[in-house]
Amino acid sequence: MNKADGKVYIVDDDEAVRRSLQLLLKTVNIDAVCFASGDEFIARFDAAMQGCIVLDIRMPGLSGLEVQKQLKAHGNTMPIVFITGHGDVPMAVEAMQQGAFDFVQKPFREQELMDRVSNALSHSQELQQEETLRRDVAERYASLTPREKDVMACVVKGQANKVIAMDRDVSQRTIEIHRARVMEKMQVKSLAELVRMSLLLGEN
Amino acid sequence: MSESGPRISLISSAIQLDAILDAMVESLIVIDEHGVIVQVNDSTLNMFGYDRSELISANISKLMVGADRLRHDQYLSRYRKTGEKRIIGKGREVQALRKDGTEFPAEIAVGESMGGARPRYVGLIRDLTEQRRAEESALQQREEMISVSRLSLMGEMTAAMAHELNQPLTAVANYAAASKRLLEDPSAENLQLVRETLDEIGNQAHRAGRVIARTRGFTRSADGERVVMTLADINQQIKRLAEVDTNANNINIAWDIPPELPAIEVDPVEIQQVMLNLVRNAVDAMANTPAASRNIRVTARRSGPHELRYEVCDHGCGVDSEVSDSVFNAFFTTKPLGMGMGLAICRTIIRKHGGELGFRNNDANNLSSGSTFYFTLPTQVTR
Repeated sequence: MNKADGKVYIVDDDEAVRRSLQLLLKTVNIDAVCFASGDEFIARFDAAMQGCIVLDIRMPGLSGLEVQKQLKAHGNTMPIVFITGHGDVPMAVEAMQQGAFDFVQKPFREQELMDRVSNALSHSQELQQEETLRRDVAERYASLTPREKDVMACVVKGQANKVIAMDRDVSQRTIEIHRARVMEKMQVKSLAELVRMSLLLGEN
Repeated sequence: MSESGPRISLISSAIQLDAILDAMVESLIVIDEHGVIVQVNDSTLNMFGYDRSELISANISKLMVGADRLRHDQYLSRYRKTGEKRIIGKGREVQALRKDGTEFPAEIAVGESMGGARPRYVGLIRDLTEQRRAEESALQQREEMISVSRLSLMGEMTAAMAHELNQPLTAVANYAAASKRLLEDPSAENLQLVRETLDEIGNQAHRAGRVIARTRGFTRSADGERVVMTLADINQQIKRLAEVDTNANNINIAWDIPPELPAIEVDPVEIQQVMLNLVRNAVDAMANTPAASRNIRVTARRSGPHELRYEVCDHGCGVDSEVSDSVFNAFFTTKPLGMGMGLAICRTIIRKHGGELGFRNNDANNLSSGSTFYFTLPTQVTR
């Protein structure tokens, strides 16, 4: 794991639990930032934060579930690992239904937590890479002319140049030039790559 | 005619009197100054299982149990000598004795009949067996309800304690695991960090110990034994439980239980049942309270030279004057899902401890300003 991958944001009302978690993560070179309450974290939350959140489900003030809800409303995409107590199974279930990444039950073996945190961080990283790629692809797509976009749409549908040319009453050569421009601007070498990118754009 | 009239009416009124006496549910026994039975009604025969002939001319002590028998003789002789009315006119509870040797609780009232030449005493005896049985079963039911709600509270408290213990235990486990990893690279810096971490492990172990120490009073009193504790300590244990409810209902709860108030001798779990009940009632009462005034204030103070008062003040719907007389009755409830046992149990518990449970609306003219339920407890136990 690489510490550039993002930080762990620990939200727990218990100072000893917070500090011990922070130290534990530090021994495996993961940076952690601590918050004593949901309110404190939400006040400092920024949608550009990267990493994962370790959230105590049972806290005075805002409960973990409430924090999860509010973070979602603030555009959070970081995975959340919940820390739950012995009797908190129903809450844990609700948290998972609301899209939590995972949960650990207190008291946990440190490896259990480390595994979940590192899974969450890799997941976050994948999400991040995908997001970066999607943004890149969207930028490249935006640089296409309307005619090039039109040609790209036909190409990824599997239409032959000849058919595209005939439908538009232009020469096949013209379509070939447009097509080459599309491949160049989208920075792809094969039709398969172009199709994948169009799928990525389509999801957006 | 003019002569026979009153005589006939005298005879007929005597017959009528016998009929009335025989129709009485109570046993009626007439004795002389030595305790010799001169007259009994039919109820006496049924109640004690004798024939009339077995009782007339017998001594009244035949119907009494040892200790009462002796006392009765003393009463009679004292009355003869001094005229002091130890039993005359007073309702007194005694153990009565049937012919078959079985005993039953009875209430006896004695009156003196001044009519004849010699004094006569009239005793009215009521069988208390049924009444006792009803009282005992009501008491037993109440006790059972208390012990059921006690068990459920103990369960909740155990869960809360488990949660509280989990915090330091989690920290200890994390610190231990971190230390082990730090020691893989025993640099001077890491060794120093491990030293500090070991201190922190020690602190957390002590913290866990304090959680257990705080609950020791409760486990000790598991069988209802009384323990000397402060209201603040007793209250501490229900805080978390109460806050789970207030948090879930977006209610703000403020506690002001001064730890310096004198300790009281109580069954802490029972007092906690009452505390938690009052707070939860307050939460329920505020179901329709606007967000801005969803506040509960719990306070304790000295309310007399030997009395403490614990109050739960809400901003709920208040108590309607129509129901204010019945809120403490068993099976009375205004809640859709309520059993109506809460306040009845609470009052039983508080009275057992020599205190009172009550309430007042915060503003008699405006129910929506909520109500305050309170209980008092004596600081000195009078035995």
